[in-house]
Amino acid sequence: MLEYVFILPLLSFAVAGVIFAVGKWLPIKGASAGIAVAAWGFIQAAMLFVKAVRGSIALPYEASIPWFSVGAHQLSLGVYVDGLTLAMLLVVTTVSLLVQIYSTGYMHGDPRFKRYYAYLSIFTGSMLCVTLTSSMLVFFMGWELVGVCSYLLIGFWFEKQSAAYAGKKAFITTKLGDLGFLLGLLTLFYAAGTFEISAIMEKAQNGLIPVALAGLAGILMFLGAAGKSAQFPLFIWLPDAMEGPSPVSALIHAATMVAAGVYMVARLYSVYTLSPIAMDVVAWTGAITAFMAASLALTCFDLKRVLAFSTVSQLGYMMLALGAGGFTAGMFHLTTHAYFKALLFLAAGSVIHAVHTNDMREMGALRHKMPITYVTFLLGTLALCGIPPFAGFFSKDEVLVAALSRSPFLFALGAMAAAMTAFYMARALVMTFHGKPKDAHKHDHAHENPLVMTIPLMFLGIVSVISGWALTRHEIFEHLVNFEGALPFELHHVSHSTVALVSSLVAVFSMVFGLWLYKSRPDIPALLREKFSPIVNMLEKRYWLDAFFLKIVAWADSLSVVLFSVDFNFLDQIAIDGWGWLTIKLGKIQGWIDTYIVDAAVDAFGTITLYSGRAARLAQTGIIQNYLLFVAVAVSIFAAIAFAG
Amino acid sequence: MMLSHYLAVSGILFTIGLFGVLTRRNIIGILMSIELMLNAANINFAAFNRFLYPGQHLGQVTVIFIITLAAAEVVVGLALVMAIYKNLKTVYVEKYNILKG
Repeated sequence: MLEYVFILPLLSFAVAGVIFAVGKWLPIKGASAGIAVAAWGFIQAAMLFVKAVRGSIALPYEASIPWFSVGAHQLSLGVYVDGLTLAMLLVVTTVSLLVQIYSTGYMHGDPRFKRYYAYLSIFTGSMLCVTLTSSMLVFFMGWELVGVCSYLLIGFWFEKQSAAYAGKKAFITTKLGDLGFLLGLLTLFYAAGTFEISAIMEKAQNGLIPVALAGLAGILMFLGAAGKSAQFPLFIWLPDAMEGPSPVSALIHAATMVAAGVYMVARLYSVYTLSPIAMDVVAWTGAITAFMAASLALTCFDLKRVLAFSTVSQLGYMMLALGAGGFTAGMFHLTTHAYFKALLFLAAGSVIHAVHTNDMREMGALRHKMPITYVTFLLGTLALCGIPPFAGFFSKDEVLVAALSRSPFLFALGAMAAAMTAFYMARALVMTFHGKPKDAHKHDHAHENPLVMTIPLMFLGIVSVISGWALTRHEIFEHLVNFEGALPFELHHVSHSTVALVSSLVAVFSMVFGLWLYKSRPDIPALLREKFSPIVNMLEKRYWLDAFFLKIVAWADSLSVVLFSVDFNFLDQIAIDGWGWLTIKLGKIQGWIDTYIVDAAVDAFGTITLYSGRAARLAQTGIIQNYLLFVAVAVSIFAAIAFAG
Repeated sequence: MMLSHYLAVSGILFTIGLFGVLTRRNIIGILMSIELMLNAANINFAAFNRFLYPGQHLGQVTVIFIITLAAAEVVVGLALVMAIYKNLKTVYVEKYNILKG
C-alpha cells in the first residue's frame, strides 16, 4: 500500500487535466472526477494512518527513482513517508475532499466552475508533492506550485479589482520569502551535499553539518516559511487573500498551504535543532506573530478577515511550538487547527453564501435561520479558543507547555494571544449569529444551505470535537509524530496540568467576557473604540505593516527610476552608444585604409601586370624573322661578351 | 693566303645569308640565304682542316657530308614550299599565318 502512495499526487494532476479537457461532459461539470480522486486519496490516507497507528507498516518508508545527475550529485524523484508525512497527508486529503464536496454547493452556477475544480485538483496534487516527496528540490517545486494555485484561486473572481490585487499581493509577498527559501535550500545543499531529506536528516543527526551553516540555512528557509505560513512581518497577504472563494480560504489559507511552512520546519527539524539561534528565531517570530495577529483580529469587521488573522495567529503558535522544541506539539496543533479552522471558514462561507456580505455589521441573529451552520461554527469556535474538551484545548495546551519550558516571555505572549483569540471569536460569534438583525433585508433572505454544504460542516464539527481527545488517547499522535533527539522540555516550577488549567481558565474567562460584552453591553465596545482611537487606528492600519511594505515598494520604485536613468543616460547613451559611435569612427578609418592602401596595393599589382604584359606583347609580333633577329642579336651580344672576356 | 682571309670570306658570306634570312619576304629567297649560311660553314670546315691539320681529311669529308645533307634538305624544303604555295597561292612568309590561333 505504501508502495503506491506516489500515485496520489500524480492522480490529482491527471484529474486536473481531465477536468480541463473533458469536464464539460462529466457529471457536475467535472467536479465528480475531482471529488472521486480526492475521496480515493482520503481513503488511502486514512487507511495508512490507521495502519501506522496500529504499527502494522514499517516507518519511515522511502523509495525513489533516479531523476538526473549534476556532476557527482544524483537527484531523484521519490517518496519519504514517516509519521509526520502521514499526519500531513491525512490533513491535506481530508480537507481537500470536504472542500471539494462543499464547493459543489458554494460555487454552483459560477461561470468558471470547471476551471475552479481543475485548480483545486492541481493544488491538491502540488500539496501532496510537498507532503510526500523525498527530495527538497521537489519540495521546493511543489512549494512554488501551491503558491501559483493560491494566486490563481485568490484572484479567481478577477473581475473584482480587489481580488486581482489580492492575488498579486499574495504572490509577490510570498515570493519575497521564497527568495530566502531558495537561498537557504542552496546553503543546505552546500552544507549537506544532497537534497534527499533522509540523507539530510542523517547527516544533521550525526553532526556532519556545521552548526553555523545549519543555522544560516534554517533562518533563510524560515524566511520562505514566514512568507508561505504568513509569519511576521510577511503575514500581510493573508487577510487580503480572503478575496478568494471561501472554500479556497478553508483549503489553502487555513488548513494546508499555509501549514506548508510549518511542515517544512518540522521536516527539517534535525537541521533546526542543530542551531539554537535558528530555533530562537522560529520561536520568537511565532510568538510575536501569534500575539500581533490576534490583536489585529480584535477590531476587524470582516468575518473572513477575523478568521484570517486568527489563522495567522495560530500558525504563529505552531512556529512557537516548533521553535521552543515542541515538535509533536507544533504538528499536533497543525493537525487539529487544520480541521477546526477549515470548519470555521466553511461555516463562514456558508453564512456569506446566505447573506452575500462579509461584513459582520450587516449580519446578526442568524442562529435561527441557519441552525446547522450556527452549531458547527460554535463547535469550531470552542475548539479554536481552547475550551476543554474540544480539539484546540489539547493542542494549544501542548504548545503553551513547550513555550513555558523555553521562556516565560514566550508563554506570556502565547497566553495573551490565547485570551485575545477567545475574545475575538466570541465577538465574531455574537455579531454574526446573535443579537438583532442589523440588515433586515439580508436577514430575511438568509436561509440554511443545502446538504452538500452542511454535511462537510457536520463532519468537521464532529472531528473538531473529538480529534484532540482521540489523538491524545494512548498518546497515539505522540507515538506517530515524534522527533528523536528533540529538545527535552521539562517544567521546573509548574506541572503540566497547571498550564492546562491556566490556559483553559484564561480562554473560558476571556470568551465569557467577550460574549457578555457584545451581547449585553454592545455600547461598551463602541465607547472603547472612541476612547482608545489611536490603538484602534493602529490595529486597523495593521501596525502600519502594509504602509511599511508600500514604503519599501515606493522606495524600490524610486530606486528603479534612478537606476533607469543611470541605465539610460550613462550605460545606454555613453557606454553602449559610445561604443557604437567609436565603432563607426574606427570603421571609417579602417575603410579609408582599406580603400587607399590595401586596395591600392592590390590594384597596383594588377596595373603593373597589365602594363608589363602590354610591353612584353610588343616583342611578340608573330613574325618569325623578328624572333630570328632577336636570336641573332643575342648570339652576337653573347659572342661579343665571350670575346671581350 | 692566310686562314684569316678564308674566315673573313666565310664570315661575310654568313652575314649575307643571315641578312637574307632576316629580311627576305620571299620563302625561296630565305631558303637560298640558308644555303649561303651552310656554305659559309663549309668554307670554315675546309679552311680549318687545310691550315690546322694539313695531313688529315676529316673536315673535308664533313663538308661533302654537309653538301649532301643540304641537297636533301632543299628537296624537303622546296616540297613543303610547293605544298604551301598550292594552298595559299603566295610565297611571302608574312602570309603564312594559318597556324595562329
